[in-house]
Amino acid sequence: MQEKAEIRSKYWLAVFLVAAYTIPFAVGIYTENVFFDLQWLADLTTVILNGIMQGGVYAMFAVGLTLIFGVMRIINVAHGELVMLGAYLTWMFFFYVGVDPLLALFITLPIAFVIGLLIQKLLLNAVVGGPELTPLLITFGMGLTIIHIVEAIFTTDYRTIPYAPDAFQLTETIAVSRSKIISFVMAAFISITVFIFLKIHRIGKAIRATAQNADVAMVCGINIFHIYMITSGLAAALAVAGGALVSIQFGFNPETGVLYTLQAFAIIVLGGRGHYIGALIGGVMLAVIESLISFMIPNGTAMVEIASYGMMVFVLLIRPRGLMGPKEN
Amino acid sequence: MADMEIALDIQHLKKYFGGIKAVDGCTFQVPRGQISGLIGPNGSGKTTTFNLLTGVLEADSGEVIYNGENIVGLKPYEIFNRGISRTFQITRIYREMTVFENMLSASSMKMPVREARERAEQLMEFVTLTKLRGEYGGNLSYGQQKLLEFARALMTDPDLILLDEPAAGVNRTLLNNLLDHIHHLQEEQGKTILIVEHDMNVIMNHCEKVFVLDYGVKIAEGLPEDIQTNEDVIEAYFGHR
Repeated sequence: MQEKAEIRSKYWLAVFLVAAYTIPFAVGIYTENVFFDLQWLADLTTVILNGIMQGGVYAMFAVGLTLIFGVMRIINVAHGELVMLGAYLTWMFFFYVGVDPLLALFITLPIAFVIGLLIQKLLLNAVVGGPELTPLLITFGMGLTIIHIVEAIFTTDYRTIPYAPDAFQLTETIAVSRSKIISFVMAAFISITVFIFLKIHRIGKAIRATAQNADVAMVCGINIFHIYMITSGLAAALAVAGGALVSIQFGFNPETGVLYTLQAFAIIVLGGRGHYIGALIGGVMLAVIESLISFMIPNGTAMVEIASYGMMVFVLLIRPRGLMGPKEN
Repeated sequence: MADMEIALDIQHLKKYFGGIKAVDGCTFQVPRGQISGLIGPNGSGKTTTFNLLTGVLEADSGEVIYNGENIVGLKPYEIFNRGISRTFQITRIYREMTVFENMLSASSMKMPVREARERAEQLMEFVTLTKLRGEYGGNLSYGQQKLLEFARALMTDPDLILLDEPAAGVNRTLLNNLLDHIHHLQEEQGKTILIVEHDMNVIMNHCEKVFVLDYGVKIAEGLPEDIQTNEDVIEAYFGHR
């Protein structure tokens, strides 16, 4: 019975995803934004490539959120604000110290790791394992506090970092923004490094063991409170790295973190809560659909948020465990 | 019993869940270097006692003296690092980690990586799981999971091993294999082993001393043959005759 429901939910998810990717094309055809000539196909390829590049960055910061959820069952709604904080840290180092945004990662990531440790130590350790609402409200309050502090310091003005604005011509008609390529390569490098760390390193194994069963991890000698702190530090570092990489592509202000939180949630719901590879796949899938919407639907740029909201809601309804998440008990 | 012979001194241990007295002033001493059994009817507090001894649950009161130190109130990982290891009634392996990763997950952070890997290899060979080292825990049979959990409990070479129903759900051949391993640990390495078990053949044939709990209280202790004829024990299991 359960197996049948599992297979049915898988099929429904497949149907939903096919429909989700078809809708932009259907609307594009209806609104005469789809031409099927060579130039349009080249533009479509460019858009999809840009989406994949963007997805790599989304996936990286979503992995931080999924790690925290997987290890502590905490829904950190301030994750996007840490992404935004990463963008501002990068901006500060770029404009005030003159450090290249990528080189700034060597400074901002350790800072982020310490911020994550402190958040865990001072706010979250006391509520891990308790009712889910408590950490949710704590992180919600923390997110708002970060927004207001950043607003007080930097105002609500949009900031940008001019970095590698030119495009890289793949063919005569297909070009990808250089900053997107750089961001994607960096995100892929960081994601793979974290993946290898989790897979091979002793602490990484302890993180995975704690995620699977914290009680057993404890009787196997793992100090789960240290693991919680390391996980939070790692998640904050991934968020700040994400912030650095989006800051060289898009403008940002203190409110943009909310959108990143939403995107990260949509990604981990799609990929499967607590699942690392699922988050990577979900990130790319979400970014590609966002790109398709903004390319084919009139005024689509303003509608990309619908993709995140819609995907999250429908996947939760159809298959709560997403593509690769563990079975719900 | 002379001090030197006691591995674990449990004094007036109590754990209540609301009005339920799961463990109610339990007192007994586990002899060092022997295989002991902890038995009792369902709900007598055996597993709760194990959970208290390993820090999974915190005792309301009482003491557990191990190597001269009261370990009540310590976290499970602190108790583990002092040399007490355990298995569970229903196996709790990491289903999404390989057999080898399961083994390494129980190695102390202080143990050098190379040493941990060698130890894991030796123990996998000890319980004949070497061929399955790359298999995910969730893909193992229940008996193999029991063996894996047992081997994992030995990773840090603990002095005291608590086994919660090792015979449950295990076929006779595998059980004999497991019991051989347990005897090997006790006879060759001088380990202290405390077994919670419903299978009376295991308790009577393999334990040197038996403790009996009923309603969270120790009602008897002694040699297996004495326990078999103890009136209080018979009454606890079968009621008044």
